[in-house]
Parts: sequence; C-alpha cells; structure tokens
Amino acid sequence: MLKNAIVVKDVTKNFKLYYDKPSTLKERLVFWNKKKADVHTVLENVSLDIKKGETVALIGVNGSGKSTLLKLMTKIIYPTSGKITTEGKLTSLLELGAGFHPDFTGRENIYFNAAIFGLTKQEIDKRLEDIIEFSELGEFIDSPVRTYSSGMYMRLAFSVAINVDAEILLIDEILAVGDAHFQEKCFSKLEELKNSNKTIVIVSHSLHSVKKLCTRFVWIHEGKIKMDGNEKVIDEYMKVCG
Amino acid sequence: MIKELYNYRELLKTNVKKEIRGKYKGSFLGILWSFVNPLLMTLVYAIVFPFILKSTEPHYVTFIIIGILPWTWFTNSIALGTTTVLGNAGIIKKVYFPREILPISVVTSGMINFLISCLIIGIFLICSGIGFSPYILLLPVIVLAQYLFSLGVILITSAIDIYVRDLEYIINFVVNMLFYATPILYSPEMFAGTPIATLIKLNPMGTIINAYRDIFFYKQMPNLGSLLILIGGCFLFCVIGYFIFKKLSKGFAEEV
Repeated sequence: MLKNAIVVKDVTKNFKLYYDKPSTLKERLVFWNKKKADVHTVLENVSLDIKKGETVALIGVNGSGKSTLLKLMTKIIYPTSGKITTEGKLTSLLELGAGFHPDFTGRENIYFNAAIFGLTKQEIDKRLEDIIEFSELGEFIDSPVRTYSSGMYMRLAFSVAINVDAEILLIDEILAVGDAHFQEKCFSKLEELKNSNKTIVIVSHSLHSVKKLCTRFVWIHEGKIKMDGNEKVIDEYMKVCG
Repeated sequence: MIKELYNYRELLKTNVKKEIRGKYKGSFLGILWSFVNPLLMTLVYAIVFPFILKSTEPHYVTFIIIGILPWTWFTNSIALGTTTVLGNAGIIKKVYFPREILPISVVTSGMINFLISCLIIGIFLICSGIGFSPYILLLPVIVLAQYLFSLGVILITSAIDIYVRDLEYIINFVVNMLFYATPILYSPEMFAGTPIATLIKLNPMGTIINAYRDIFFYKQMPNLGSLLILIGGCFLFCVIGYFIFKKLSKGFAEEV
C-alpha cells in the first residue's frame, strides 16, 4: 500500500465576484447597502488522493478549476469547505522568479528565490553550482537581473525552482520556458525527478508533453472531476475538446 | 509556529538584507541615507526649535537626536510595515510561505539600522562631553520593548490594510500626531502636573524614548518597572496581533 502524498477531501471553493469592489472606507460607507457580491463556485466537492511517486496531470478547459485546485494544494488560498492535507516538503512552480529583485545580481537572486521556497543557506550553497550550470547563464550570473533578457530571466528562475529538491512538485503551465533546447532540458529534468520517486502534479494544456511524462490524468470539468485514470482520459478529452 | 519560522529563517534573512540594501540601491550614498536622513532632520529641529522654545536643554542637539533615531525606526516600521503585505502581492499570490515573515523582516531591518545608528548617538555623547554610563547595558531591554510594540502594531495594520486600504493614510496621520505626543523635541518635565503628562505616560513610545534618554543622556537608571510592564504588555499585544494576522492571512491571496 503506497502512502498518500496529497489528500483532497470534499473540497469546495467559492470565489466572491465583486462588481465594483469597495476597497476604501468611503466606498464601504457609501455603498453599504449595495448587494455585496455573487458567489461563484469554482470547485465543488472534489475528492482526490494522490499517491507518493505518482506523476499526475490535471487537464481541462480554461476556467474549469485546475489552477485553483493547485493553489489550494500549495496553501496559497484556502478551501471554503473540506480539507486538504499534504505529506512531505512541497514546492509549487506557479510563477517563475517570485521574489526576484531587479537590482541584485543573478547569484543574489538565487538566494532570495530559493529562500522563498524554504531552503536554508547551506542547502542553497550546496545547489548553487547546479543551479548556475543548469541556467546556462555563465558570466551573466553576476550581472543585475534587470539587465537580463526575458529568456535569461526565465531560465534562471526555472533552474532555481527545479533544483529545490521537494518531495512534492506542483507545476502550473510553465513547461514553455526558453528555446527548444532548454525546454528539452527541463523536460528531461522532470523525467529524472519522476524516476526518483517524487510526486509531481502538472496543470497543462500541452497534452502532447504531459502524455509523455505523466502516468495518471485527471480531467476536471466545471469544478468537478469528470474522469480519472490512464492515457485513455486524454483520448476522451481530445474527442470532446480537441 | 516557531518551528515553521525557523525553517524559513533564510527567507527572513534575505528579506532583511533586501530591505536594508535594496531600498537605497542605485543611489549614490546607498545605505548611508538611513543615517543622513535622521541627521538632517535633527539639524532642522536644532536650528528651528531654540527659536520657538524660549529655553532649551543644554546639549539640545544631543538631546533630540537620542529621541529622533528611535523614532525614525518606529515610524519607518509602521509606514513600511502597514503596506508590506500589499507591496508583496506578487509573491503572496504565487508562493506559499509564512506570511508573518513580511512584518517581522520590516521591524528587524529597522532594528539593525537603529543599532548601527546608535554609533551616531555615541559620537554625539563623546563630542558633547556627556560620555557614557554603565546603564547603556540596558539598551537591549529598551530595544526589545520597542521591537515588540512595533511588531504588534504592524501585524494588525498590515493585515487590515489588505481589506481596508484607507488604513495606511489613517495610520500616517496618527503617527504624525503621535510625534508631538511623544517627548522627542521636549522633555516630559515641561508638562509635569498637566493632563498632557498623563497622555505621555499612556503612550508606549513616550516610555520608550524616556528610557533611551535616561541611559544615554541623563546617565541614570530608567524606570525599569514600567519598562518591564511595557514589555509584558507588548508581548501580549504581539500574540493578539499574531492571531489576528493569522486569521486574516488566509484571505490575502484573494484580496490583494
């Protein structure tokens, strides 16, 4: 019996839709009797167990709730009802380069960025060479990040994120980084992580690449899980939405 | 809670570093600005106030700089701290980390700045011939009181600011008012026996500034009893602030 890495139990998430959200005191006082907001249910009673070592792809059309589910797993937002528990160190790659400061050098920013992921100084020191090598930035690593091209920026950010060494990796549509060569490198790094028994959850629209990488596919449709299983899910999904 | 903060200690460290060095990065004087600013302020007061007040303390410049440097730490912490969660919206929406790191690093970087600027106080004490007393060893106690008080305030204000953006303007006004209700440019003895004296006593920053003055300027034992009561009270205040912050922080990513 494999251990669960992520357990999602009866999770419902509502978002309030404000049509002119009062954020100042004056607006609150003046529009105090205005209808507050509409409630929009993004996820409805979703339950999902992800075992340790599984590589899972969340697929579905835009607005189906996949990214929300991923954000709930990382504890950036919290469910309206239900419970989510995770087991092990978790890293989420929702956006690359969080915490980068443009005036500091690439090397300093590696420390800032990795620290946000909860690494200590020694852990970062140990990975520093790997990160720099993976990013292929060479001598630019000691230039301020504001002088980087967007491609270089993304490469550095991805290199940090992928080298964090978490047990659970949550990835939101960031496989399209850099040129074809770098993308291939990222992909093989993910393969490597997968083979070293890490748990990976990916939200992606590039069905082709997730099909190669993942072993389990969860199709989310209008806030509910429509199908859950092996590659056949993708084929079904392609029939409906492709 | 402590354990999680410990796990994220590197984030706290880099954040403090970013606050201290990032703020003036690109400017010519760099970090020196943190010290030039209060010095210029002191200069202005030192020129203006002897005209307004008929008689001032001897060593008036030294007298006010001992008040102004801790006050700079306090008002910077409140001003930056109140908007810190809002200002970091980008990472709050994208990464999980213990959110209380943000207000803690604001107060901590302010404290480090202040401790360095204590050298300025030292220079003034030597130049004015006042010199030092062993009571300076009590400095950490006073710093702790101010640290806890500032942290308690901004834990609450930074969290509420996300929901009611007016707060930062209200707070700015309150802090400006508090400047005059705190014995920085004057000594509290001037108001002995009037209701204003009670007001000063109720103001935590008043007690704190008085204590700084006791150890540096008057070279006497500060009122340790009221200082310890203050530390206890501020600690409690911090705990309450922490719970409010924790409660409100669950909605940060959706509201910013």
